[in-house]
Amino acid sequence: MSDSVKVQKREDRKIDGLMEAYFDKPNRLTTWSGFPVKDIYTPADVAGIDYEGKIANAGKYPFTRGIHSNMYRGRYWTMREAGGYARAADTNKRLKFLADEGVSGFSIFRDLPTVWGIDADHPMAEGEVGVSGVNLTSLKDMEELLDGIPLDKVSVALLCASSLAAVIFSQYITVAEKRGIDIAKLRGTIANDPLHSRYCYGKPNNPIDLSVKLAVDIIEFCTKHMPFWNTNSVNAYDMRETGINAPEEIAFGFEIAMEYIRKAIERGLDVDDFACRISFYFSAGMDFLEEIAKLRAARRLWAKIMKERFGAKKPGSWKFRFGVHTAGSSLVPQQPLNNIIRITVEALAAVLGGVQSLHCCSYDEPIALPSEESQRIALRTQQILAYETGVANTADPLGGSYFIENLTNKLEEEAVKIIKEIDEIGGMAEAMRKEWVDQKIDHAALQLQKEIENKERIIVGVNAFTTASEERTPGGVHRIPPETEREQIANVKSLKETRDRKKVKETIKRLREKAQMGEGENLIPPIIEALKAYATTGEIQGTIREAYGLSYDPFGIMKSPY
Amino acid sequence: MEKRKRVLLAKPGLDAHDMGIKLIARALKDAGAEVVYGGIYVTPEEITKTAVEEDVDILGLSFHSSTHLVEAPKIMKLLREKGRDDLTVVVGGCIPLEDVSDLKKMGVQEVFGSGSPLDDIVDFMIK
Repeated sequence: MSDSVKVQKREDRKIDGLMEAYFDKPNRLTTWSGFPVKDIYTPADVAGIDYEGKIANAGKYPFTRGIHSNMYRGRYWTMREAGGYARAADTNKRLKFLADEGVSGFSIFRDLPTVWGIDADHPMAEGEVGVSGVNLTSLKDMEELLDGIPLDKVSVALLCASSLAAVIFSQYITVAEKRGIDIAKLRGTIANDPLHSRYCYGKPNNPIDLSVKLAVDIIEFCTKHMPFWNTNSVNAYDMRETGINAPEEIAFGFEIAMEYIRKAIERGLDVDDFACRISFYFSAGMDFLEEIAKLRAARRLWAKIMKERFGAKKPGSWKFRFGVHTAGSSLVPQQPLNNIIRITVEALAAVLGGVQSLHCCSYDEPIALPSEESQRIALRTQQILAYETGVANTADPLGGSYFIENLTNKLEEEAVKIIKEIDEIGGMAEAMRKEWVDQKIDHAALQLQKEIENKERIIVGVNAFTTASEERTPGGVHRIPPETEREQIANVKSLKETRDRKKVKETIKRLREKAQMGEGENLIPPIIEALKAYATTGEIQGTIREAYGLSYDPFGIMKSPY
Repeated sequence: MEKRKRVLLAKPGLDAHDMGIKLIARALKDAGAEVVYGGIYVTPEEITKTAVEEDVDILGLSFHSSTHLVEAPKIMKLLREKGRDDLTVVVGGCIPLEDVSDLKKMGVQEVFGSGSPLDDIVDFMIK
């Protein structure tokens, strides 16, 4: 009897099924990424490994065991929970709620019109304003969003990874400047990775070259003015969510990062002046042991890449610093409370993997935006891991495990092979242009679906241990009231009518002139000027697009008023 | 010989989480349907126009970012205006269970949430 039939039979809840269950055993003897797993691992599986050269204590090159010598004994990972919905005032309330519940850093998520760089009153924004994040059409929104939050004291992650990152980042620092805060003191992260967004948001609002140019503008600006700010959180997470495997996640993420690094060096920056502020955003999926090994392998490989390929000399430049978001794609709408368990396993993998900043998904995410209650549970998951389990008391507690070390080696070797393949194509941007990456992702998605459908991979509640479908969502659905969108559109229209039009026109003109000066001209200062005059997201993006010979509106609907 | 079913698949709105709809397109093709892939970022007007021009039998709409209750009624209204309310309309994606009855009331024939088996979707749409 095949394994899948056995599982099915057990679901029949008959005595036969009970006997099958008694004798049941794992039916997929490979890791999530397909590495075969043996019955047992012994010293022979790590024989000859050079501890000092390949593993080393935490805090020492190549940092396999962690980037700090005592890891969480120095300080826990930053506990973030992403917040973002409706209008800025609503999200501000949620951020304060999360602060009261004990988060140690904020993470702000924007809606789709903002990612696209269109204003709330754009026709394509209908039904999307404030729905999957907060709407940030103008500086006024960012001011409301950050009201009462001491920007010089907190660490904020801005999750806007399209080429609109330049505008959202500028909104943030403009608010700080207006409050008289020295921007050199700001601490946080901008998810400044427009390359990956092709595979998360689909065809992007801007072409690859312009997207990378704007990303490098942020890196350059921060290198000169904001020493504590993480200039680019390269998003391997979203790539992984498409269904690719763990070594592909490492390789694709690193190749994307290398594109920005090469361009920043071409801009004239010294790698040791900015590499220490590039961070990564990785996934932690359901294959617990492989995910831990993946994070260890990534740390070792990144150290080598920075030292050997880019010639970075400062140890800070070699360190793979990363945040983890537990895998949203592993969550299911069926029996949704079980997602809490999935999230816990993934978060534990992230912690054992040495994460610097963690976001736990909320169990209701496959259904709707997280409710206050589900976000509280997500945060409590992190707090229980940190304060109750003792796993943070020593660096890399699984280091030295025959299996973990063996798997870490295999993942690194496989990632190196994929990196070589992408290098031969001409780098990640070229692999994207040639749609090589698209093919890999499509193949992975299809393969994963097949494995779920034929029950090679078991997902509890989906293809095994199913129950009759619920009629209502346990815990309820967090919805954005439709009047939110109407109010935000009214606010944006009113702003456009009441602001100083002459000032907007002047700043937009300057922005256009600067953008026309070419790739080397940093656009953050003129964007800040335009923001101060309350030019909107759509107006700023549209002006830059026109300067680069593109249509004002990525959808070709709106015309430039300037 | 029985005519092959023609299916239009599209994803209205700004969201582009299109892994699911691409998998369904492939599964429908494998099962012998003629699939017109309308793509992402399509407006209700574009979807209706394509449905009429391509003379499809079935329309599959995918939603991820909670716009199903905004976009689906528009599409159903436009289909009625074009005299194509005979179309079988199927909705999929991140759809709260509470919304299934509302979608069905407006004429959507079936709703497949994430995690629905491909075979069930294909069987419902073309068999």
